[in-house]
Amino acid sequence: MQAIEAFLTGRIWIRQFIPFPQELIQAAIDQGDAIVASGISADGQCARCLETSPEYVIPYTCATCGTVCRYCRACIKMGRISSCTELVLWRTPAVINARPRAFGWAGNLTPLQESATKAISESIHKREDHLLYAVCGAGKTEILFFPVYEALQKGLRICIAAPRTDVILELSPRFKQAFPDAVIHTLYGDSPEQSGYGEIILATTHQLQRFQEAFDLLFVDEADAFPYSLDPSLERAVKKAGKRSAPVIYISATPSHALQKQITRHTTIFRRYHGAPLPVPAYRALWNYERHIRNGKIPPPLKKWIEDKLQKQQPFLLFFPSIQLIEQAIPLLQKIDSTIAAVHSKDPQRKEKVMQLRGGALSGLATSTILERGITIPHLQVAVIGADHRVFDRSALIQIAGRVGRSATDPAGEVIFFHNGITRQMDAARQEILFYNKEGKA
Amino acid sequence: MNCCLCDQALHFVPSWRGIFLYEAPELLCQPCRNEFSKTAGQGCKFCSKEGEEICRDCLYWEEHGYRDLIHSGKSLYCYNDAMKDWFHQYKFLKDVLLARVFAKDIREALAHERAMVVPIPLNNEKLRERSFSQVDQLLLAAGIPYRHLLEKYGETLGEKTRQERMATKQLFRLNGEAVPKQLVLVDDLYTTGTTMRQAAKILQEAGAESIRLLTLIRA
Repeated sequence: MQAIEAFLTGRIWIRQFIPFPQELIQAAIDQGDAIVASGISADGQCARCLETSPEYVIPYTCATCGTVCRYCRACIKMGRISSCTELVLWRTPAVINARPRAFGWAGNLTPLQESATKAISESIHKREDHLLYAVCGAGKTEILFFPVYEALQKGLRICIAAPRTDVILELSPRFKQAFPDAVIHTLYGDSPEQSGYGEIILATTHQLQRFQEAFDLLFVDEADAFPYSLDPSLERAVKKAGKRSAPVIYISATPSHALQKQITRHTTIFRRYHGAPLPVPAYRALWNYERHIRNGKIPPPLKKWIEDKLQKQQPFLLFFPSIQLIEQAIPLLQKIDSTIAAVHSKDPQRKEKVMQLRGGALSGLATSTILERGITIPHLQVAVIGADHRVFDRSALIQIAGRVGRSATDPAGEVIFFHNGITRQMDAARQEILFYNKEGKA
Repeated sequence: MNCCLCDQALHFVPSWRGIFLYEAPELLCQPCRNEFSKTAGQGCKFCSKEGEEICRDCLYWEEHGYRDLIHSGKSLYCYNDAMKDWFHQYKFLKDVLLARVFAKDIREALAHERAMVVPIPLNNEKLRERSFSQVDQLLLAAGIPYRHLLEKYGETLGEKTRQERMATKQLFRLNGEAVPKQLVLVDDLYTTGTTMRQAAKILQEAGAESIRLLTLIRA
């Protein structure tokens, strides 16, 4: 396969940013291997992210083409697309190359994981969508390995999409180890360029928009998470990135009712891989916490909780509803213990700080909801400050509680919701965790 | 409608003023808006740089053959992290809509202006590449009428060091329009002042008597 073909197959790319000489691109177009499409269609839809809303597709007088052009703000971070932008798509389908492949994963599956694996393989075989509804810590990634291995042997192109870069970065080394002879591309904002034809693509849902009719099989991890639950355009992106008959496997610990209804084939696992029940959140009132923190005081129940964890030398996460509140609280927390740090979504040292917490250099982290998914730290304890705040919905609270007790050596741990009044979302989260534990035992 | 910088939902805040007068819809959420920092009242009389009455950059020009060229000048905002992000998204990601973010400030600064408003141009090649002129769009968004008197040729200052910038000669030529006696030169970013001095020099030689400056940002 030519390098340009390997790069462009399944992609939809701005012509001037294709990393090959223009003559080569022109030759491919002349031969009919590639076609050129307008960036914004005549009826105002972005060809890359499929946005149509006039709030995001903006008309202006363009000096490049001299007419009124429209440009798309929704996907502007990946390079702006306007009506006069040329997008290139590769038309010639890739040759399917079925052959035996290496499999580098030798772990064992629990019987529940085993049957989930079988059910997913069957859905893929029948080309049907599937929902894997499994609690936090059920061992979802291991469940995927075998179906991915089967598909790889058949020469299919596979995509694993997740909403957040952190999740993609955590999945990447595990997949590289499990499939040592496969070309695996890991794509997120600012990811380095990766050469060759990617057989397995690990991508954030945003990067998925740069593909079109590319994949024979898609896995959508954390299918409920932001920005999924908010953003129907990303669901369209999943459909656009897949070939017409490609099955989509959705994976979630907290699927929305809409998703559960939409997909008929389900597998549920309500039990963690180590068999112990999920920690059930406790409620503790923390009246007027915002005012206390603003006035320079950590409320006594919270202070006591932190001191208790410090004394037991257990790492902890403190979830706050806003960055502003973290900034007010962090100097106060550092007075209790100087090795408490803060992270939020804009923090470039996020990864390092999580590593330090894992290694013991930090005793605890004050965080926004950014750490609600994908992190695993042994002996972790969790407190939510202001669990009644609207950013903490049912699924966020379940995910947060799911950070605790993930290792087999210490499956217990404390989850505490400090609140200013109990909300329905808190109750729904707690009820659901109790339900999982009941179902998981049976 | 979402904030056009952070994409969070905008909360509509009703006001008495809004009931009686039309107010353009806000484009930014309050936290994003608060990140920007306006220049203080005092500072350099040419570029609003904090500190001396004439800042180091402007003093250089005054002492090197550009004395009595510019009457006075003003910059509206300081160059902080938020401004850097805005500038990047506007000029380099080419998000034209962001011209409206400072429309009110520019309108207030130029609404009662009697002198001719003259934007600093881009060269044609750059204009085709970027697909819009960032200065023109700021003025258009603010609803301020303007007229081009200059043409830019050759090099851009963007990638140059401080010394290279200040040593650059001849960035502009006249485009043939009549040059009035009074005018206000408008640019997006004031870094060393090279662009402005060069433009002013040519316009003064063509008959302008009073030249003032307005820039959105003082770096």
